[in-house]
Amino acid sequence: MRTPLSGETGRHELVLMAFLAAELLLFSFTGRRFATAENGFEILRVSVEFGLLALVMTPVILTGGIDLSAGSLLGLCAIVLGKLWRDAGLDPGWASALALAAGAAGGLLNGVLIARLKLPPLIVTLGSFSLFRGLAEAITQGVDNFTGFPDSFLLLGQGYILGAIPAQVPIFLAVAAGLWLLVHRTPFGRSLRALGYSPEGARFAGLPVGRNLILVYVLSGAGAGLAAIIYVAHLGQAKADAGTGYELLAITAVVLGGASIFGGKGSVHGTLLGLAALAVLKNGIALSDRPSEWVGMATGALLLAVLSGEAMLKKMSARVPRSPTRDSTSMPSGSP
Amino acid sequence: MKSLPPNPWPWREGSVVVILLLSLGWLGLAAPSFFKPAALWPWLTSVAPVLLIATGMFFVIVGRQIDISVGSQFAWCSVLAGEAASAGWPWPGILASALLAGLALGALNGLLVAGFKLPSIVVTLATMVTLRESLRAWREGEFVRDLPDSFQWFGLGQSLGQCWVIAAALLLWMILWIASVRLSVFRWVYAVGSNAEAARLAGLRPARITFGLFAFMGLLTGLAATLNAVRFTDVDPKTGAGLELQAIAAVVVGGVSISGGRGRLWGVLAGVLLLACLPSALVFLKWPPHWEKAIQGLIILTAVAAEGVHRARSRGRED
Amino acid sequence: MTPLSPPSPGLELRGIDKAFGPIQALHRVDFDLRPGEIHALIGENGAGKSTLIKTVAGALEPDAGEIGVQGRTFRSLTPRLSRELGIAVIYQHPPLFPDLTVAENMRLFLGPARAFCVIDRSRQIERARECLAAIGSNLDPTLEAGRLSMPEQQLVEIARALAAGAQWLILDEPTAALGADDASRLHQVLHALRAKGAGCCYISHRLEDITGLADRVTVLRDGRKVACLPAAEATGREMIRLMVGGERPPSDSSPPHVAQPDSSAPGTRTSPDSVLMRVEGLGCKSSHLREISFELRRGEILGLAGLVGSGRTELARVLFGLDPLTQGTIRIEGQLCRIESPADALSLGIAYLPEDRRRHGIIAELSVAANTSMASFRRMFPRGWLDLARERCEAQSWIERLRIRCQGPETLAGTLSGGNQQKTALARWLATSPRVLIADEPTQGIDVGAKAEIHRLLQSLASEGLAILLLSSDWPELLQLSDRIGVMRQGRLTAFFSKQEASPEAILSAALGHEVTAA
Repeated sequence: MRTPLSGETGRHELVLMAFLAAELLLFSFTGRRFATAENGFEILRVSVEFGLLALVMTPVILTGGIDLSAGSLLGLCAIVLGKLWRDAGLDPGWASALALAAGAAGGLLNGVLIARLKLPPLIVTLGSFSLFRGLAEAITQGVDNFTGFPDSFLLLGQGYILGAIPAQVPIFLAVAAGLWLLVHRTPFGRSLRALGYSPEGARFAGLPVGRNLILVYVLSGAGAGLAAIIYVAHLGQAKADAGTGYELLAITAVVLGGASIFGGKGSVHGTLLGLAALAVLKNGIALSDRPSEWVGMATGALLLAVLSGEAMLKKMSARVPRSPTRDSTSMPSGSP
Repeated sequence: MKSLPPNPWPWREGSVVVILLLSLGWLGLAAPSFFKPAALWPWLTSVAPVLLIATGMFFVIVGRQIDISVGSQFAWCSVLAGEAASAGWPWPGILASALLAGLALGALNGLLVAGFKLPSIVVTLATMVTLRESLRAWREGEFVRDLPDSFQWFGLGQSLGQCWVIAAALLLWMILWIASVRLSVFRWVYAVGSNAEAARLAGLRPARITFGLFAFMGLLTGLAATLNAVRFTDVDPKTGAGLELQAIAAVVVGGVSISGGRGRLWGVLAGVLLLACLPSALVFLKWPPHWEKAIQGLIILTAVAAEGVHRARSRGRED
Repeated sequence: MTPLSPPSPGLELRGIDKAFGPIQALHRVDFDLRPGEIHALIGENGAGKSTLIKTVAGALEPDAGEIGVQGRTFRSLTPRLSRELGIAVIYQHPPLFPDLTVAENMRLFLGPARAFCVIDRSRQIERARECLAAIGSNLDPTLEAGRLSMPEQQLVEIARALAAGAQWLILDEPTAALGADDASRLHQVLHALRAKGAGCCYISHRLEDITGLADRVTVLRDGRKVACLPAAEATGREMIRLMVGGERPPSDSSPPHVAQPDSSAPGTRTSPDSVLMRVEGLGCKSSHLREISFELRRGEILGLAGLVGSGRTELARVLFGLDPLTQGTIRIEGQLCRIESPADALSLGIAYLPEDRRRHGIIAELSVAANTSMASFRRMFPRGWLDLARERCEAQSWIERLRIRCQGPETLAGTLSGGNQQKTALARWLATSPRVLIADEPTQGIDVGAKAEIHRLLQSLASEGLAILLLSSDWPELLQLSDRIGVMRQGRLTAFFSKQEASPEAILSAALGHEVTAA
């Protein structure tokens, strides 16, 4: 009997790369100036914000959870940054640091409710989705728009390094690299995977399940904070609707990248590939002069297609016996 | 091993009703104009569609699922009803188009969740965005105008129209309330939400029941969309934004457990009314109305946290 | 298939064989149940009772043999067919709807499955009351099923089954965790059922249950039926003798290579010296453990015997920090310890090899290497990142040392056989260099060869100074490995035997609470 080896199955990544290649091909024909280096960098620049959210969403989904409040938290942090800078007179550096802290605090709220009170992540992050966006709207009274940031700050989102590379890209790459190491090369990352596959098994192995769960959501919140800083620098303004809809993009990127919504399976490099596919999709549609609504439709349809496809494959192919999730008398297991 | 004491009084639902009565009483004292017919009837009319959506959401949550695509479904049904009206269809045709649209969209969700066994949160997240964006692509923000006079208020004029809307919603709610206790198909929903495996052993079919939940939600959405659309002279394609959260908040506040299997519809009525008082309460407290979303989120978190604490404590008490 | 003899009105199992991989769980077992009788089925853990029951319930297909129900013969059953034939199995945790009332629970399983019929609630309650009264219970049908205690849930299940027309009731260890009052109430119910003409098969190991209750007793041992006696002949001593067996059946004889190369035959091992762990008055309210006291010495293997419901696993859970200690103390090397989580236990050097190895012992979707390193992160990766090469290397050395049969450290743990999964789990704990190892049924469901290897491992570990608490239902294993044997019964530690005093009869008697008369 073939014993499948551990490590991510390359098959999913290959399919994704084929899809990406198909996209690139299609848009190079239908899009204006699509296949240029300049456009390539633009794609990068525009994707950093929801890309960061997708990166920090990956460990959350690895644990079998979900964070629906990511986009709203981005909005809240953006407002915090704007308010602190304009009305409290802090310089953008300090305002950014505090915005980051606000993101971590929001993540902490999620984490404590999920880990300590054992509430389903779905409903907790749905509630905080509303709370964070609501706070952003309340602070700005729905209309306020923070603008006029100093150029030194805007360089972060609008400037270039070495003439051509958008300034936020190195930040994104650094975060991506750091997160990859965290998820794939640290005990913490390993424990997240164990937790996602089998919460009971992880507990019996002495892993600090509660603490790690809280940390994962704090990380997600901090990621939203960082994304907010870059968002504000990029657009030059902070409005309460910042980041609307980003959570769907983030979740889609992670799931496209091969993560299982039930936990355990998934990778940072998969997420990056999924991000690439989504970012190219967004850009290609815009450059092909199609309405921007097509992006949302395509993203939703893509997510459903991937999930349904996976569900069908699961039914058909032989798979590794999963950790039992229900109470069943342990039967003697003979080898097949 | 001793068994626990007999069923506790429904303190969750009861407390909501108490809070509701207190809030209404307080509002009545502080802002008596709230209860004048000129203000009260429009308010109740605006609550009627939300009640129907919350009722559908009630069953979905009792069945251990969730549907956050309701707002987008609502928008589609509203626009389709408006288009049918402006195309000159008679009222039965308009109603049918809204109901069928809702049913179809709900069935789509149901197929994905029950057929492919995908988690409902992700499915309805995807359908929510797809539906919303596709509608935006079609309408590009354009209202459905030039509706015939027979559209608004069913052609009956405001006061009669309002009565019909409120009565229809209330009547349907009452029927569903009785049905949720006495009609076996609805009890099956409770069974599936309580213990899907036992339901299977009992010969019920959890997959079909789950499919039915989403389809039924869609149907109610279609109806609610119609009842809402007749309040105006045109149809705004952006209608229904945030409706799902309103409904979920009302259901959770109304004492329904998020893990399924338990809940009472009269709690949902209290929850809907209580949350609908919120904007008026804000006005009285002289808080800016923009706090509404934040408070709604806070309410959801508090209600769910309270349930979590209660459950943790009763688990510890089983010694 | 035409029966050759006149159709019997009963439920019969003839020549049932069932194997799980290399383990032969049932070997040509015969069993029959007559209407209006209470037939007890006894045997130790692992004797095959559960497997037999699952066959009757239609959850398992036998490899050979046939099932006869009132003259009709079947090769195997499905759950649905079993129900239609009037067979009902009452498990310890019946599948009820916890959020619904008892009355509704009963209706859902009984009533016609028509979607649009209106429910008459008072009629529903009345009917439930009638069904419960039929078995002599006055339980309030308006209670929520989730709030009932376990014996009450079982009563509901019995009433429900009977109302659905069941004629053959099979109760799987119903009184294992019950107090005397609940147990006698259940007995009354069974008497009522017998009077009605139903046939009850009652699996138990509580001899006091059997003597007052059963009409006949069947004894299983190692997957074989060894006797079927009328109640009059079933004395406590006789049943113990049959359950244990005068000699070891062939399937249990250890293969020759089990003889320890380094002469660690028990007794010649370095006699255990200082006390490592001292437990005094330990109690856990939620697990019904009371006043447990014992000492564990370095290099000693303390065997812990006990039957279902005795509380052994619950004790292990408290020692490992999974359940809270509500009374008593645990001392390690004289120091008072607070063990509130598995991490605490680990830091004190306590390791736990759990009974359910698939769910708790390993994580099936991860590799052998990932599983073995899971409890040793701090030691193996002091700088905070995973050194995959080191992990693979250490895993490889464990694979060699424990003879784990796999295709290398990257093999997914879920694809290994039971014995190799157990070794992987063991490797994980050994990698933490524990001082105390709690092994809960370490060789359950493992083939003979791997079993012997694990025995050898445990003995050599003990001779290196590891203190082992061995929870086992396997007599030869317990007797061969243990220096001392403690017996648990109903949450208490009731007896200790030294190596010389220990014999299967003595231990089983203590486990059953039966007085051992001078033999």
